[in-house]
Amino acid sequence: MSATASRPSADPAIFRARRAENIVVGEEIVRHRFASRAIHWTVALFFFLALFTGLPIWTPIFGWMAHLFGGLSVCRWLHAWAGLLFFGAIGVMFVHWLGEMRLEPKDREWLRPRKIVAYMKFEGDDEDVGKYNGGQKLFFFAAALGAVGLLLSGVILWFPLEFSRPLRELAFVAHDVTFILFVVAIVFHVYLGTAAEPGTYRSMIRGTVSRPWARLHHPRWYREVLGASSSTNRPPR
Amino acid sequence: MTTQNLEIRRSSASLWGEKTGMRHLPVVSKLIDTTTCIGCKACEVACQEWNDLEAVPTQQTGTYQTMPELDPEFWNLIRFNEQEFDGGVVWLMRKDQCMHCADPGCLAACPAPGAIVQYENGIVDVNPEACIGCGFCATGCPFDVPKFHAKTGKMAKCTLCVDRVSSGLEPACIKACPTGCLQFGTKDDMVALGHARVEQLKANGFANAALYDPPGVGGTGVVTVLRHGDHPEWYGLPRDPTVPVGVRFWKSVLRPLGVVAMFGAVIGAIGHFMYQGPKEPRATDVEPPPGPRA
Repeated sequence: MSATASRPSADPAIFRARRAENIVVGEEIVRHRFASRAIHWTVALFFFLALFTGLPIWTPIFGWMAHLFGGLSVCRWLHAWAGLLFFGAIGVMFVHWLGEMRLEPKDREWLRPRKIVAYMKFEGDDEDVGKYNGGQKLFFFAAALGAVGLLLSGVILWFPLEFSRPLRELAFVAHDVTFILFVVAIVFHVYLGTAAEPGTYRSMIRGTVSRPWARLHHPRWYREVLGASSSTNRPPR
Repeated sequence: MTTQNLEIRRSSASLWGEKTGMRHLPVVSKLIDTTTCIGCKACEVACQEWNDLEAVPTQQTGTYQTMPELDPEFWNLIRFNEQEFDGGVVWLMRKDQCMHCADPGCLAACPAPGAIVQYENGIVDVNPEACIGCGFCATGCPFDVPKFHAKTGKMAKCTLCVDRVSSGLEPACIKACPTGCLQFGTKDDMVALGHARVEQLKANGFANAALYDPPGVGGTGVVTVLRHGDHPEWYGLPRDPTVPVGVRFWKSVLRPLGVVAMFGAVIGAIGHFMYQGPKEPRATDVEPPPGPRA
């Protein structure tokens, strides 16, 4: 960094990606503006905080994780508060993205098992996939529903002595089943967002994707963005 | 929990190697003969004194019972129950306390390694140093015994006077009992004594007398002679106590399944990547965009 630098050396797309999304900036397309990315990573932060403080309570196999936070007694209250914050963050995310995540008839088609298998085999790309495909939308709603399940069962486990015995036993099972499914889903969410589909991770860090990426993964969104931007497709000075 | 002479058979939240006992010790048990209990509460006082527990205010609820439930500072409670029977009323007294189950639900439910231990002699004990005060043991216990102590943030319950027992003494409550309705010895001896007493009762016209040693929790370290053995609930005892299904399902089914599912997902993702590789756009994937290029 030179003290005499008078103009930013970074990609102009980054500056546009602070406030606007679904626009073309040079060779880049802004996919997630700063607010979307900040909300996403806040959810992720509290998810992993709750996960790593919860796993050592769940089974001694992960007991070593408790030491990252100062012991199991710390986890016992930190897990509950991290869970609450996670639920709050995912609530904000739900409201933030709900408009873009509405399931359309095309998405229901995408969610047929044969289509999902074809997707994982990278076959039969659908020209009609918009900004989010059916799987992403399903994950969005499943995560929100899972968060509600984790909250309800989690509150019972937090204050077990205030609730009836059958409710407590049910909470054990419900909290476990929900979080196991959640973790499995998150593993694939992280995998698809990083190694499996290069260029995706960047959309959640810088906020932008390349044109070929958009054309490949979200063709209809690509066409819509290009159409809307064709007249104003100028990078900022 | 005594920190010397540890002969641990089982320890909570341990998967392997929790057994530390070098010697084989006989399993001990109390025998409570409810038919000779006079409700004097000497055992309550002895428990408070030996364990140096604070005085808990008596609650008047219309019975002789000192308070409605066990308390973190009150581990030994004589329950007084009135029951209509044979055209009259029977007045039943039973010493309520930790039952020291052979298969303890509290230990199964406890998530903190070593917070609940079972010694070689069968005594089930809470180690406050390891306890995180989550209260899961209360869910695991079919007798509703462990209580949360607000001052320490830990669970507390009867230790079967493990400190006295490991020094060769009988528990304080046994020492104090004036009628001999409380006995202490090996489990085998107490069961034999209990059965002998049950036979005596049956010979005296109490055909339903029975020894309460519920098999659902592997038997208990406190066996109880009941005159109305066909109605343990009259004494506030569950008919067929077991470790709760939810706790068992968590520990025995969901936990191994979940660990396999999580690691399976990671291995599946790696396998998919090795087999399928990344999904990347080819150069031919991009059409010339409509309109002027910047």
